[in-house]
Amino acid sequence: MTPLLVARGLAKSFGTRVAVSELSLELRPGETLALVGPNGAGKTTTLRMLAGLIAPSQGHVELNGRELAPESAGWARRQIGILTEAPGLWDRLSVRKNLTVYARLYSLDSPAAVVDAALERFGVLDRAKDPAAQLSKGLRQRVALARALLHDPRVVLLDEPTSGLDPESARGVRELVRGLASEGRAVLICTHNLDEVDRLAARVAVLRTKLLAVDTPQALRARFFGARVRVRLAGDPAPHAGLLRAAGVADVRVEDGALSVALDGSPVKSTPDLVRLLVEAGAQVEEVARETPPLEQVYLRVLSEGHS
Amino acid sequence: MTGRLWALCAKEIADLRLNPGVFAPAIFTAAVALAIPIFIAIVLPAVTGESLSDSSDFRAMAELFTSQPWIRDLTPEGAVQAFIFQQFLVLLVMSPVAASMSSASFSVIGEKQARTLEPLLATPISTTELLGAKILGAFVPAACLTLTTFAIYLAVAAALAAPGVYRALLSPAALAIMFLVGPLASLLSLQLAVCVSSRVNDARSAQQIGALVILPIAGLLIAQLVGGVVLTAWLTLAIAAALVVLNLVVLRVAVALFDRESILTRWK
Repeated sequence: MTPLLVARGLAKSFGTRVAVSELSLELRPGETLALVGPNGAGKTTTLRMLAGLIAPSQGHVELNGRELAPESAGWARRQIGILTEAPGLWDRLSVRKNLTVYARLYSLDSPAAVVDAALERFGVLDRAKDPAAQLSKGLRQRVALARALLHDPRVVLLDEPTSGLDPESARGVRELVRGLASEGRAVLICTHNLDEVDRLAARVAVLRTKLLAVDTPQALRARFFGARVRVRLAGDPAPHAGLLRAAGVADVRVEDGALSVALDGSPVKSTPDLVRLLVEAGAQVEEVARETPPLEQVYLRVLSEGHS
Repeated sequence: MTGRLWALCAKEIADLRLNPGVFAPAIFTAAVALAIPIFIAIVLPAVTGESLSDSSDFRAMAELFTSQPWIRDLTPEGAVQAFIFQQFLVLLVMSPVAASMSSASFSVIGEKQARTLEPLLATPISTTELLGAKILGAFVPAACLTLTTFAIYLAVAAALAAPGVYRALLSPAALAIMFLVGPLASLLSLQLAVCVSSRVNDARSAQQIGALVILPIAGLLIAQLVGGVVLTAWLTLAIAAALVVLNLVVLRVAVALFDRESILTRWK
């Protein structure tokens, strides 16, 4: 599928400080890509460059095959919806008025109808007349998201969409974000919430000034931790760990009363082979599960290897 | 283009309506500007029982204006009243604008501080539209207040001053001050405030620079009062023409100085 948004060799410096360098990525329709990285890694700067809000020092961004340039900024802003880190609502104005001003700024044909539909879709119709200042943080984020989507953009860039929200509000926002990708939009999320990344993103990009890794969460897990299987046995697993080592399985650990076995590079290639070997040695297997290390571990590993 | 400009301008005015306290200084200043000439020309003579025309200073100043037909036909007291009403017209025109400077100078800085500027800059709005909306958002309410104040001024002159004095406020020079010089000077002042507002982090800096425009206007008022300058219709039109040029230049400079990237990345 042709990418909607392409970044090639993006770099951005502020004076002598390099905020982003050598960043290349693609975003396809219906895909959610999460951009993660420590504070000051360049996530917001990247988002702003992708949105055409600031110009890269090097490299370029293509939107739907067309290179972003100052003369195409107006066109690009109609194709992109951006949720900034702060909701940025005008506090004294009502929710409806906030959205109506933006509908008119995007020169939409029927601003009132579009705003009504957005209020309904984002579940804030009953608060339409309230000043934005009276909304909870979660509702403010919903309104900001509604505002970012008023003009029906094909590319949606979200800067920490659930930051500071309570779990229920965060779940509500996540549901809305999930819906965006299912509508065929290309979605990029900047976040620190790795649990959210696991739930929402098809691919993860780890950034610390440079892109350290870009792949699916599963592929990153496999790359940095390999395929591991956890086997719980009746009784002490330690003797069976020795048996496996004797059979040539180099990476065997006893953790929390279970065996944790790395199959990559081992003579025991598959989970059934492993179970058979253990059973033949007299072990009573109670539970077998593929180990999924938390994305946080993967992220920290990527950062530490990127650092080294 | 105009759709986006008016959309944002309407938002500015709606925001002001919901926060009338911001406009209170403008209303107060306009009321003071209205009260001073009424007090001098009408209340003070009525309270003291002394006519203004008894003062040789007032008479001498009023004589400077005897070339104006609507003053020539007035009684000596009426001529002095007309002179006073006409002189304070400049103050009347400028005072609401001076007071509304605070909203203009806070316009861009305020958006940045409230973190509402980035979503706004992500829309297709151009810099000219954005600045135009900010300037008009401050100018339109100030101009409405000035016109209201002028209507009251005219009504008071017609009702309480000597017969025919109000016609001095409808002279070509007075009307040019009211409808040309005043609004253009106001626009220039507010433009400067908005322009500076987009470059500094502190609204007070913007106010101080915007207020610079008030100084020459205040100087003009003083020069008139001491008889140094007589604002004829032609002189007023010449000042208006100069202000048109200055307004266009300042708008271009404001657009050129509005650096979206710096505003987004350097302001904290």
